[in-house]
Amino acid sequence: MPSLLRRIDELLRPDHWYLEPSDLGFFLREYTKGGGYQASETNQLILNLKKSPSLRGTSQWKYKGIAIRRCANELKSALAKYLDGWTIVPIPPSKARDDPEYDDRLCQVGQILCAETSARFCELIVQRTTTPADHLQDSARRTPDLIAANYWIDEALAAPEPTHVWIIDDVLTTGAHFKAVQQVLLQRFPVAKVCGVFIARRAPLPDEPPVNG
Amino acid sequence: MGQRSLLFAGSGSPLRSISPFLEMGAYEALWSKPGATFKRLAESFKENADALPSDLVEEKTARETGERVMGHLRERGVVRFGIRVHGDAEYPDRLRDAAYPVELLYFQGAWDFVESPSVAVVGTRQPSPEGVLRTKSLVKQLVKDDWTIVSGLAAGIDTVAHTTALEVGGRTIAVLGTPLSESYPKGNLALQADIARRFVVISQVPVQRYGQQIWKQNRTFFPERNVTMSALTKATIIVEASDTSGTLVQARAALKQGRKLFILDSCFRNPAIKWPADFEKKGAVRVDKYEQIRDALASSSN
Repeated sequence: MPSLLRRIDELLRPDHWYLEPSDLGFFLREYTKGGGYQASETNQLILNLKKSPSLRGTSQWKYKGIAIRRCANELKSALAKYLDGWTIVPIPPSKARDDPEYDDRLCQVGQILCAETSARFCELIVQRTTTPADHLQDSARRTPDLIAANYWIDEALAAPEPTHVWIIDDVLTTGAHFKAVQQVLLQRFPVAKVCGVFIARRAPLPDEPPVNG
Repeated sequence: MGQRSLLFAGSGSPLRSISPFLEMGAYEALWSKPGATFKRLAESFKENADALPSDLVEEKTARETGERVMGHLRERGVVRFGIRVHGDAEYPDRLRDAAYPVELLYFQGAWDFVESPSVAVVGTRQPSPEGVLRTKSLVKQLVKDDWTIVSGLAAGIDTVAHTTALEVGGRTIAVLGTPLSESYPKGNLALQADIARRFVVISQVPVQRYGQQIWKQNRTFFPERNVTMSALTKATIIVEASDTSGTLVQARAALKQGRKLFILDSCFRNPAIKWPADFEKKGAVRVDKYEQIRDALASSSN
């Protein structure tokens, strides 16, 4: 059978500590933080998806395109009827458009996802300044409030008002970016249903200390 | 039922998805019904194609059972663990080659290693000194050829297989005959924790049922995990085993599942046992040199 989405529930929520019991967060794949078998299918898919824009023009670049299409198609088949009428909002890339490292992979995933459906792909959340990519700094300090302070709604795209939103991201770690986007969206559109869907969630190793908060 | 209807049921059919906690509770609840066996469970999933455990159990029962099981595991120090359910993207399709495939597995560690090319090295709990040396030599060569060593964490050959793999910097996976919260033999507690920390430990044994039964009934979980071990790997290699060894369950499963079965030549030279010749007739490969295993695995498309 085709793979089903999994829900972040009471078993998994401690790994993504910013998520709350009322949040509806789903994911397709799972891989292990800081290790695992690098040749595993999910690891490869995520590594290819995240290939740096500096590799554009090299022989490796095509794998990024393949990963983008595959992720989009897997999401499309898993979300099925939960696309028509929905607004798809990507987590903004960490780099601004004029930055050489600007990576629009999630936008490409979102556009393929919405093609031939009545879902609307919409870069509704814009980031004010380039921020360091999360893996380059202590991500535990990046609280949703701190991230949200750097986000604003692109009012040119705010109509029609979204009623059902999928926030999409590639890898779910702490959940801080999801919560930040959710917060900004709900401030502006208080009655919208805002859910998250992730290509993969990052699972911790057994001896990592549990996080409270 | 349950979680899956949470999401905007008004907008048409509910989004079908897996809640790992709910599935764990449902699987454990199914196992707590009188007469539950891997065979009966597999048959009931065969009758209900594409069903998840939670489709066959009341949500309230699944949740209550899930809470109990999670509480028990935490009490026993198993805080971080995961599950794989038939239907999730990482559940290995090759498990369906087993006669009665498991619908749900527990694990601790990095599941990604399950996707690495692997072979099972198994055998008696009371090996001869030569058997121990043969296991060490075999595992070293397999690791050199980049195979992950899968075994059952039992005393004897299994323990030597795991520890040798770790000593020479290889990968190893343990498939337990107990729940994650137990270690058997007790002396392998540290080894189990080490494999979970660095690689992955897998268990198909239902936690609640295990706790409700006496050890005699729980013994059946050991040969049953051998069937899963065979299904997970490309081949099974038997180093040393008696005519009544549980290892032979895995030998039978390997042939039935279309996996390669290698039996070391030394087993054939033991006049006290007859199983090696029986299995050779059924398709097992008798090996006296490691190269035979290497060549056969290289040509295997399994």
